Amino acid sequence: MKQFLTVLKFELDNYFKNKSFVITTLVLAFIIAAVVIVPTVIPGLLDDEEDITAPGTSEEIIVDDAIEDEGAELSRYGICVAKDATDVDVDMICVAFPAEWKNYDSEDAIKEAVETGDVEAGFIMNSPTDVMYVVNDLSMYDYLGEMFSQTLSACYKQQYLLDKGLTAEEIAESESFHVNITEEVLGKDGGQNYWYTYVLVFVVYFLIIFYGQMIATSVTTEKSNRAIEILVTSVNSTSLICGKVLAGAIAGVLQAAIILGSGFVSYSFVQEAWDGLLDFLFDIPANVLVVYAIFAVLSYLLYAFIFGMLGALVSKTEDISKSSSPVLMLYIASFMIAIFGMTSNSNSILMKVASYIPFTSGNAMFIRVSMGSVAVWEVIVSAIILGVSCMIAGVLAAKIFRFGTLHYGNPIKFKTALRKVKKNA
Amino acid sequence: MKLEVKDLRKSFGETEVLHGVSFSVESGRALGLLGRNGAGKTTTIRILMNVFKANSGTITIDGKPFATKDYQIGYLPEERGLYPKKKVGEQLVYLAQLRGMSAKDAKAQMKKWLERMGVAEYEDRKLETLSKGNQQKVQLAQTLLTSPQLIFFDEPFSGLDPVNAQILKDVIKEQIEEGKFVIFSSHQMSYVEEFCDDIAILNHGDVVLSGNLKEIKREFGQDRLVLSSLGETPEELANRLQDGFSDLLDVEKVQKDRVIIRKKQKENKAEILKRLVEQGVDLEYFGLYEPSLNDIFVEKAGDE
Repeated sequence: MKQFLTVLKFELDNYFKNKSFVITTLVLAFIIAAVVIVPTVIPGLLDDEEDITAPGTSEEIIVDDAIEDEGAELSRYGICVAKDATDVDVDMICVAFPAEWKNYDSEDAIKEAVETGDVEAGFIMNSPTDVMYVVNDLSMYDYLGEMFSQTLSACYKQQYLLDKGLTAEEIAESESFHVNITEEVLGKDGGQNYWYTYVLVFVVYFLIIFYGQMIATSVTTEKSNRAIEILVTSVNSTSLICGKVLAGAIAGVLQAAIILGSGFVSYSFVQEAWDGLLDFLFDIPANVLVVYAIFAVLSYLLYAFIFGMLGALVSKTEDISKSSSPVLMLYIASFMIAIFGMTSNSNSILMKVASYIPFTSGNAMFIRVSMGSVAVWEVIVSAIILGVSCMIAGVLAAKIFRFGTLHYGNPIKFKTALRKVKKNA
Repeated sequence: MKLEVKDLRKSFGETEVLHGVSFSVESGRALGLLGRNGAGKTTTIRILMNVFKANSGTITIDGKPFATKDYQIGYLPEERGLYPKKKVGEQLVYLAQLRGMSAKDAKAQMKKWLERMGVAEYEDRKLETLSKGNQQKVQLAQTLLTSPQLIFFDEPFSGLDPVNAQILKDVIKEQIEEGKFVIFSSHQMSYVEEFCDDIAILNHGDVVLSGNLKEIKREFGQDRLVLSSLGETPEELANRLQDGFSDLLDVEKVQKDRVIIRKKQKENKAEILKRLVEQGVDLEYFGLYEPSLNDIFVEKAGDE
């Protein structure tokens, strides 16, 4: 135990005396605190934001503005009516959809105009109800085609009702029915919890991706610089690898805790000034935080031991990146399952299964607790499985390390190492 | 005190690398553990340090089983290695603490040994910034930090200039005089001859020769004589001996300035001398052959 603590202290010193570690931690903590605090001390900054997000959706405001604001510069669109589509009422379209419209004779002409940037987009009317939307580069958030289609449909509907004898007032009245709906969420509000869950899952992702390699490197270092020749005569291999892995784990968790903590502490001081606007990030229920802390630390530890194991299998630090890619893939798969579960259904069968598999349960169980409904016993069972897996990984890492200690040269295959460990058990 | 290694056997996979190695070391007397590369020296040392377990065999001190936890062990490995990016003082304190010293004692010992090796000024420097010779000295300080009772020096002189080699010689002699068990492994036979009272030569996992160095040398020189003549070259002398002395001796080796012969009978030294005088050979030297350790090593560990 004394040796383990000596190794742990020495390895932690390596992190804490590393200038880039200290500077990165402090700078990130400072930036987060600044992002939370600065807007509250600049007069009027938060009030303005409230005006912008005034009732009504932003889309409505833009459409309304475009229609109502006569002075605003109108977008330039081209329109072309196919030769056999004689029943298309171009004038009505131009009135219903305010823009600077240009008429074109042929499909080619309008396409060329769009390509050269003469018009921003073009609409080819094959019939009153069949339109081709022509655009040069379609952005992900391009709703123009959709808006055009809705506007035309509304016009046709209005025209149809007028033809049926309804007056304009009657039509307007028929549009005015509005059913008010309020939500009462008995379980978790996935929409509300989404952002902090997302951020916390990402924190573990970064920890594992960044620190995993560092831990593997620190385990390989002694073999690489041959200090292991002396160390094996002074310290038992279990103390050595556990000290190294746990030092990496503690350094990582501490760094994450300082950075996130600076956000939480800063927000607790200025929560009122923000008027709860950042609650979606910082107002995390205590039980969710506790479950997160347990699962994040355990799953991080599990991966840390696996990376430690990889470090023990190679003898040169440059071999680590090659050997560690399967584990990184495994974690990224686990991460993808988590993100899929967050965006679709956090209580799906996939998430339920994933929340018991140690490699995926860290994210999956946390997401289920944060965004879905899960029984306490399920959380406990999953935590026990993950905890036991950590211990097994730790013991295995120590054994592989012991076997690989004085094995220089080519990386040892994981299967070979396991066979040797089994043989010596 | 006497450390005895008896019949050590060790296999890696299907290959047996030690086939029953036995030797002994007495405290205050250094043992030279010799052998060609791959002979099994490092494996033997690692078994002694409990890095590996032997498949069979015993290690005892004064008849009691030897347990590494009861003794401080100092090891200077052939593959030198410490932390290049850590400060010299810090890593020495770390290694001393790992071997059970308190932080305070470890620091005091670190300072003492850096001072003794003449590298105290580098305590706060990163190891990689030191010259090779000074890094060697830090390695040596590491070996002796915890006042070990059992010390293994594996090629301790490689990379040292004559001045630094002298410092190291003094330190090793000091350790031997203090009554430590010192096991010395080197290919530089002159150093082994200088320090070691006893030797054990390993070849392909077997001890092919072991015992007191002086006795071994005497035994090796038995029946052999060294001759040189003022009037003849060694080759001419060798031809004369082969032609006219074949009933008394065999020519064993013709060297640059002398001929080594093996007597055919134990007590025929006077007869050989008599015949040489009768033949009018102008003798420059006629005496007992005392082999160098190098000669013994080449004969015992060289491939036939």
